[in-house]
Parts: sequence; structure tokens; C-alpha cells
Amino acid sequence: MPVELVRLELRLRRRMLLGTGFGAMAYLLLIVLMYPSFRGDTSLNSMLSSNPGAAAAFGITGSITSPAGWLNGNMYANFGPLLALLLSIGYGAAAIAGQAADGTLGLVATLPLGRTRIAAAKLLALVLVAAVVPIASYLPCLLGPHFQLYPNWSALAWTSVALGLLAFDLGALALWLGAVTGSRGLALGVSAAAAAAAYLLSSLAPLVHALRGPRRLSPFYWAVGNDQLARGVPPAALVALAGLGMVLAGAAVPAFRRLDLQ
Amino acid sequence: MRAAIQLHQLEKRFGPNRGVLGIDLCVEPGQVFGFLGPNGAGKSTTIRCLLGLYRPDGGRAEVLGQDPAGRDPAFLTRVGYLPGELHLPEALTGADVLARYGRLRGLADLSYRNQLIERFGVELDRPVKALSKGNKQKLGLVLAFAHRPELLVLDEPTSGLDPLLQEEFARLLRETEADGRTVLLSSHDLAEVQRVVRRVAIIKAGRIVIDDTVEALRDRAPRTIELTFDHDVDPARLQALPQVSLRSASPRAITLTHTGSAAPVLAALAPLAPDTITAQPADLEELFLQLYEEDRDAG
Repeated sequence: MPVELVRLELRLRRRMLLGTGFGAMAYLLLIVLMYPSFRGDTSLNSMLSSNPGAAAAFGITGSITSPAGWLNGNMYANFGPLLALLLSIGYGAAAIAGQAADGTLGLVATLPLGRTRIAAAKLLALVLVAAVVPIASYLPCLLGPHFQLYPNWSALAWTSVALGLLAFDLGALALWLGAVTGSRGLALGVSAAAAAAAYLLSSLAPLVHALRGPRRLSPFYWAVGNDQLARGVPPAALVALAGLGMVLAGAAVPAFRRLDLQ
Repeated sequence: MRAAIQLHQLEKRFGPNRGVLGIDLCVEPGQVFGFLGPNGAGKSTTIRCLLGLYRPDGGRAEVLGQDPAGRDPAFLTRVGYLPGELHLPEALTGADVLARYGRLRGLADLSYRNQLIERFGVELDRPVKALSKGNKQKLGLVLAFAHRPELLVLDEPTSGLDPLLQEEFARLLRETEADGRTVLLSSHDLAEVQRVVRRVAIIKAGRIVIDDTVEALRDRAPRTIELTFDHDVDPARLQALPQVSLRSASPRAITLTHTGSAAPVLAALAPLAPDTITAQPADLEELFLQLYEEDRDAG
């Protein structure tokens, strides 16, 4: 594994990663700090229960003033995945197709590394990119007990892992599409559309009966769409998310070996 | 001795008549080999096949005894490459680029690299995005040469370099050849190539049209004769001669090129009683221009 290549990949996205990571951390810190003001506010729950469409659009299920509901409704069911996917899909599309288009990947491919090792380094970089938002979100939660916020720590930790896997899966989809087509735009567009469709499938299922079965096809449902912060993440969900990521990563390697580079 | 580069009917197509359309080429080890052709002739495509960047559609390539399209990248430890369009990560400084690519290559001994940095005056402290084309090209040259590869594949290597650095580069090539290492020098600039190479192949519309030594090509190259007259002449008589083509003609001044023996040309000129005759030495430039013109006419 060319660790130097992983370091180079992260160095080239340093500002984006640090900016998003610190931004997520600052936002969640604010959410934690605000919790004491809202934890007893029953009107919030009434408002959301009388407007289930809006609640569903934000991926909110159950009480929003419980610790799990508060974190879920403000981060893990919506902004968290959005930020994590912004990074991972962006990186996935750039890692092969983007660098192939801007010409930098060609020079790297003529170093004595081999396409398989280059692809492996990019997938490892994707793992780290996908972990930025889950880690940045988890850390401010540790201050929760100082602000009357007592999450289920085990559920929070596993939901963070699931969020990271979700980001990796969609980033790997973008990376694979980029390796197959060499088109950054197509990789970015199709992956973003797949993410949006998967989000809607998972979040609207409580409202639309016909979507309740199909929502199991959505990786959002397995990661953050089923009140995981309260119920925990079933091992099967983690296996499904990890398996999907492995399949996409596995498909990306031979596709990259076949890709013509400038 | 095994060839440094051997191509057998190598083919890489982008549409029916674009790309590389089945070429044979042999580059012996220890020589600087010129690979010439107009823009779009297939030079860069061939080079990308040599480095495993493109997978050929047909034929076979061997570079240092290995198939570059195979999965073993070991041969690349012995190859240095400078692409025609050099793209480096814009956010990194020159020093950072050299250090990171050096580590990726596993370069342990930095002494030769440091000599090259000194020799070409490489800008190390500024980010790549702030460098001029010439300064980026210097970085590319150091990246290609730093590990003293057995084979250098250089695509338009002097692009953006000033004349002094072009001369320094020519010296570096001569040293490389003296070391017994091989260079494939691709260019559309004949002046650059004929200074430093012994053998040259010319590719045109995806096919090798010439593969010979520079010396032999010079023998075959058109020679230029410039004539002035103190009376009006009709150049039509000269135009009718075989192996002669008029470059420019007015009633009192004619410039022509000819191939083969000068005797029939001089015999035809004598009755015209030229006032002055200036004969230029054989130049590959003319040969190359002819190929360009045929290409343009065909287009």
C-alpha cells in the first residue's frame, strides 16, 4: 500500500477536509449547547407531529426533544449525511476521473506502483475522507452530559460507523463510475442523484406506504433512517453497508486497470 | 542485445482513421532516438501505450523486455517519463512535488536529483500554480531524470525552456547517451531533434513513414538552391524537372529544392545564366516540411 499516495491525496484536499470537519464540529457543538433550552419544549414535538411531511423531509422520526431525537433531527438524519456525502462523493469523483481529466493521474500511473495499488490507496483515502464528518460529529457529543444531553453512547458510536460506511459506499460508487467512464461529471451527477433518491426513499417511507418495503434498498435506511441513535444499529445493517462498499470498491479496481489515462 | 523498445503492429484507434494504426518500431539500447511527427500524428498515443497508460487495441509492445499493458509495474522503476502536457498538483510547491514523487518512486539517493535542481535552476519554494510553463517543465525534467533510468521517454521536453536551458538539456541528453542509457525523444520540432539524435522515426497519420539514421535522411533530404538573375526568366523549365520543386519564383529570383544528384538541375540552370547561386546544405527541415505539406494537402 503506497502510504505516501494516501498522504498526497489527503494533502491535496486538506482545506476542504479541515473546513468541513471543523464546520461540522462547530455546528454540532452549537446543537449540544442549545439542547437545555429545547429539551422540555413539547411544542416542538407537537409541531412536528402535526406536520409529518416536513418532519419526514428532514428524516425526523419520533420525539425531537429526546437526546437521540435531538441529535438525529439536527444532524444524523440530515445535515450529517449531507456533509459526509459532499466530501466522499466529491472525492470519489475526483480521485480517478477528476485526476485523469486534469492530467495529474497519468504521471502517477507511470510511477512503479501499479494500478491496483494506486486504486487501493485511493480507496483507503476514501475511508479516511468518509470518516471526517462522523468523527467531527461524535466529538462534540462527548460534551453532551455537561448540557443535559445523555445519548445512548453505544448507539451513537455505531451510528457514526454506519454514517461513515454510508459515505464510503456513495463515494465508492462515484469512484467506480469515474473509473469506468473517466468522466468526473457523470460520476458526480449519478452518485449525487443516487444519494438523493436513496435519502428520499428512506425518509418518505413513513409517510408513503408503498415505499415501506422498497426503503430497505436504501443505504440511508440501514445507516441513519431507522432511528438508529435510539435503537442502535443492527449488525446486519453494518454488514450490508460494508458489503455494498466492498462490492463497489472491488469493482472499481479492475475498472481502473482498464481505464486509458492521459 | 534486446531492444529497449520494440513495437510490433501496435494499434490504438480513436475512430477508423485516428490514433496509431499498426506501427513497428525498434529502439536499440544506448541511443537517443528521435520520434517526430506533426501534431495529432500519433506520437503521444504511442508513448502512452509504451508506458501502460493506454491499452493497445492490437499488436504488441515491449519496453525493457516487458509488456507495458501487463499488470507488473516493475519496468517503470527503470523508466523516466516527461509527458507532453505536464500536469502537477497545483497546490504543492516544487520542493514538495519532488519530495513526494521521489518517495512514491522509492528514490533513496538524492544526490543526482539535487545536481539536476542546481543545474536547471528549479524553483522549489513557489507553488506549482504560480510557476511559468518553463519552470514547470524544469520540474518535469528533474522528475524524469532523477532516478537515472535506463530508458527516458520525453514528450516535447524543451517546450517552454529558454535557449540556454535547451542547450543544457542537449548536454544532459549527450551525457545520458554516453552512460549507455536510452532516450526516446518525441517532438514536432526538427531543429531540436536533429541536434541530439542519431536515429529518427517519423510518424504521420498514425503510421511510421520514415525510420532511418539522421545521416541517411540528410542524404535523402531536399537541398535548397537560391538563384537571382539580371534578366527575366521563365521558371517553368525548372518546374518540369524531376525531383525539383519550386519554393518561390519571380522573374528575377527563384528558390527551389531538389533531391538526388545536382547535375540535371545545374544542366537546366546553365542556359538561364543566373547571376548568383546560393546552395544550402541538406537539411531535414525540408524533408519534414514536405511531409507536413502533404499532410495539409491531404486534409
